[in-house]
Amino acid sequence: MKTLKLILLLFFIVFNTFSQQKTIESNLKNHKMNLGDSFTPISFVVDSDGKKSDCSRMIYYNKRGVFSSAKSITVDNETGTIKANEPGIHEIVVICIGEGGKRLSRTFDVDVKYPKVKEINLLIKKDKIYSGTYIPISYEVIDEKGFVRNNVNFSLKSSNNLIEIDAVNNVKAVKPGRTILEASFEGITGRINIDILKNPVEKIKLTSNLNECRTGDVVEFEAIAYNKKGEVIDDEMPFDFSFTGKSFDKSNTSSGIIMNDGRFVGDVSGKYLISATLGNVSSSKALNVYDRNVKRDVLKVGTGLVNDKHTSDFWVFEGVDGRDYAVTGTWGADGTSYFWDVTEPSNIIKIDSVQVDARTVNDVKVSEDGRICIISREGASNRKNGIIIIDVSNPYDVTIISEYTKNLTGGVHNLFIYQNHVYALSAGQKYYILNIEDPTNPKEVGVFELGKDGQSIHDVWIEDGIAYSSNWRDGVYLVDVGNGIAGGSPSNPVAFGNYNYATGAHHATFPFKSKSTGKFYTVLGDEIFPNGIDVNAPNETAGFLHFVDFTDPDNPFEIARYELPGHGSHNYWIEDDVLYVAMYSGGVRIVDISGDLMGDLYKQGREIGYILPGNKNGYIPFSTMTWGAQLYKGHVFYSDWNSGIGAAKVSPIKPDNSKVNQYLN
Amino acid sequence: MRKYFFLFFALLNYNILLSQTYYVYVAAESDDVVSLIKFDGKTSKELNRIAVGVMPTEIEGPHGITVDPNGEYWYLSLAHGNPFGSLIKYSTKTNKPIGKTTLGLFPASMQVSKTTGLLYCVNFNLHGDMEPSSVSVVDPESMTEIKKITTGSMPHGSRISSDGLFQYSVAMMSDELFEIDAISLKVTRVLNLENKTDHSMHNSMNHSSIKPTWVIPHPFKKIVYIAGNGSNEIIEVDLETWLISDRFKTGKGPYNVEISPNGKYLIATLKGEGSTAIWNLENKSLLKIIKNSTTVSHGIAISTDNKFAFISLEGVGGEPGVVDIINLETFELVSSVNVGKQAGGIAFWKISD
Repeated sequence: MKTLKLILLLFFIVFNTFSQQKTIESNLKNHKMNLGDSFTPISFVVDSDGKKSDCSRMIYYNKRGVFSSAKSITVDNETGTIKANEPGIHEIVVICIGEGGKRLSRTFDVDVKYPKVKEINLLIKKDKIYSGTYIPISYEVIDEKGFVRNNVNFSLKSSNNLIEIDAVNNVKAVKPGRTILEASFEGITGRINIDILKNPVEKIKLTSNLNECRTGDVVEFEAIAYNKKGEVIDDEMPFDFSFTGKSFDKSNTSSGIIMNDGRFVGDVSGKYLISATLGNVSSSKALNVYDRNVKRDVLKVGTGLVNDKHTSDFWVFEGVDGRDYAVTGTWGADGTSYFWDVTEPSNIIKIDSVQVDARTVNDVKVSEDGRICIISREGASNRKNGIIIIDVSNPYDVTIISEYTKNLTGGVHNLFIYQNHVYALSAGQKYYILNIEDPTNPKEVGVFELGKDGQSIHDVWIEDGIAYSSNWRDGVYLVDVGNGIAGGSPSNPVAFGNYNYATGAHHATFPFKSKSTGKFYTVLGDEIFPNGIDVNAPNETAGFLHFVDFTDPDNPFEIARYELPGHGSHNYWIEDDVLYVAMYSGGVRIVDISGDLMGDLYKQGREIGYILPGNKNGYIPFSTMTWGAQLYKGHVFYSDWNSGIGAAKVSPIKPDNSKVNQYLN
Repeated sequence: MRKYFFLFFALLNYNILLSQTYYVYVAAESDDVVSLIKFDGKTSKELNRIAVGVMPTEIEGPHGITVDPNGEYWYLSLAHGNPFGSLIKYSTKTNKPIGKTTLGLFPASMQVSKTTGLLYCVNFNLHGDMEPSSVSVVDPESMTEIKKITTGSMPHGSRISSDGLFQYSVAMMSDELFEIDAISLKVTRVLNLENKTDHSMHNSMNHSSIKPTWVIPHPFKKIVYIAGNGSNEIIEVDLETWLISDRFKTGKGPYNVEISPNGKYLIATLKGEGSTAIWNLENKSLLKIIKNSTTVSHGIAISTDNKFAFISLEGVGGEPGVVDIINLETFELVSSVNVGKQAGGIAFWKISD
């Protein structure tokens, strides 16, 4: 009995001890501050019985961390004060450090009051507003301290019934005349006069440059407005273009894209109806879209298997003896590069190798004359990395000429060779330009960097004296290194063009001058691994190619994409309006990019064929992880992470005897 | 009867001692993997190899690794990002990542303060310009980088005082020792290790001769020891006077330096000669230099019972990294185990029965 009592007593003590839930209380709770105010919080610990105790030390911090937005509230832990720098609700974390290092933490919302609104500006993005159309309006709210306030829920009203305002503040012009639109918030009202014109359009005539087309063909629709008198209205009218469609395939949905200027492209074969509308006047035109029918057989003809280590990039070149050769790098291994005789693509022969102090030779390139090979180093044991220059005049017996590490110790991930100069990335931040006229003694002659905090680069490619660098979130930079367009040279690289996009995953660039249209594009590739990695198993990849029309370098715009569902892009090659793209787990995809480009090129049935290099004897058996592709003397060469180098042949176009396209001119 | 009773417990204790198992984590910088090593007092094996990072075709370079004082989580710095590196938090139960935050350029060594609970990680910026870098302070609970504290050029060797109130690091290219108050998160003192008179913070972008790569506070005394990688010496700094109190020569390229928890031994990896040196800290006499089983000796982790030192070895090229285990009673190399390439950061996790 005594034992039982003792156990119960112990249980009671233990239970009470651990039931003392402690929490931090602070006068930060529901605290409001004015902009610019400083405040010294008082915080303490309270247990479940309401008993207060002090912390031996307190630390405060802004939960947004050290990023720029964290300057909204700054903390000085020496004085224990916080300062309000930006309006809004901010989270402050309080850490209480008790005796013996026991810590508690709690997050408090601190409300830094917005300064009073000073003005509301309204702006209409069209010159003329016609009755029956929606009015594109933008709003800007500025407070007394000059901060622009976002996500403001305005109260809108008009001076008369000439416009209609719906529940989510869309504004539609319904009658001609003058009205005043008022936007009010916190007692301040902004106004704009709107002159609504009578819709002069009585009839719309819709024409197009094609009456039927293939999927992927860009069809140009033109709408001409006529007035009551049957006269053409010369003013540029703000037509709305739209389409409906029915797929020929009953179980498929129609799909396409139409632009504000009337250009349309169909993704799926079917009957489409294109419409141009202005107010309550509309006109439609039918368009038959047929399958593109570009599929061809692609046959794998040879493999140079590397299955004891991962293979990285490669380059195929003509040797000084007129035969054809290739070099491949290796990844996460022992610093080996392999040389291959690929004169007969069906009989790829490993002929030599070099091993350097590195774990990864990520990139390899060969000079235009087939004499000099450069390879990149990462993971050198002395952490000096840099590049290695190799004499490949005799690819059967290659010899290292020199090593260059100055300013390249952080690892060279990618490089390029062009007209006796090497362009080598340094620590993923910038690229250096080396003169290798004397390959035994490379000399640094230039450097290109963005010059901003967090500058980052993944690749550089040179063509016609222009260096295209792929700078992740900063996108592509076009740099004159000898072209003359901006007065640049290798020792004076001058940037003259840039384009970036939201995902920030810009990894590679290939310049593309369309033979069929004369337009100039930069094709920008993502690299994304959405689920991280497993080096010993197949990986999920994502990302796509962005086609950016750079015909006017000052006004680049993104117009098309190639996205293979379930597979992400890596390196690629374009020749004669055909794209050869390594889509990692999706293998090499061969894509027709002839004609004008717009929308989703994959959906448009532009794929000619594909190669899946996965090999039963590969580093990871049957796993395709294609690194890059290169068209060389009529064969598609490729490197694969798990199987080495390979070659394939795209069969000639087969005559179309199917009569599927019998109505197509 | 009582005699048998004592004999039974003596045997039981002996068996428990014999069956003690040690666990360490080691990061392989050129393989993007972390290995969990198990050592039973005689033999060691790689229990688990954990792929880290998010980009399979980019080397992200896991460099620094540490286990929190409670042994529940381990933290890994990935040196390379776009361009900033990051800190990843893993559970020791599952070895799965549970949190991430971006830090500075080439985040490297780090430690969690047992007092503040915060993690202090140097941004090594190994390949950047010779300019001041920083120490990132992270709240591991929310994985928020709460402050970047500017220090010297190429800071390395982030270690916390035994009371958890100060963080020490050395600036490899400006030859400085930095002390940071772990609460106020401010630099409190800077010491030029070349004994120059001007101790201001950011003026010394001179060519470093000492190249300090590591600093370790003594577990009981107000002293820190610094590895002079370029000057082949250990530098002793008195924290009371903030003056250099001793210097003693080592072999080639001392890189990491640690002190056994009982304060008896100072252990340094000699990177340039692929060996590990052990000193008796009571009289600073060299006890032994032990040749490691491969080249490029890097990190040190010492078991909490003071019995074993675990040494990470990078190796060269395609060679595997290695963890050497040294018995601190016999000063003999007792076991080695292969891990990923360029093994660097190493952290002791636990002893279990």
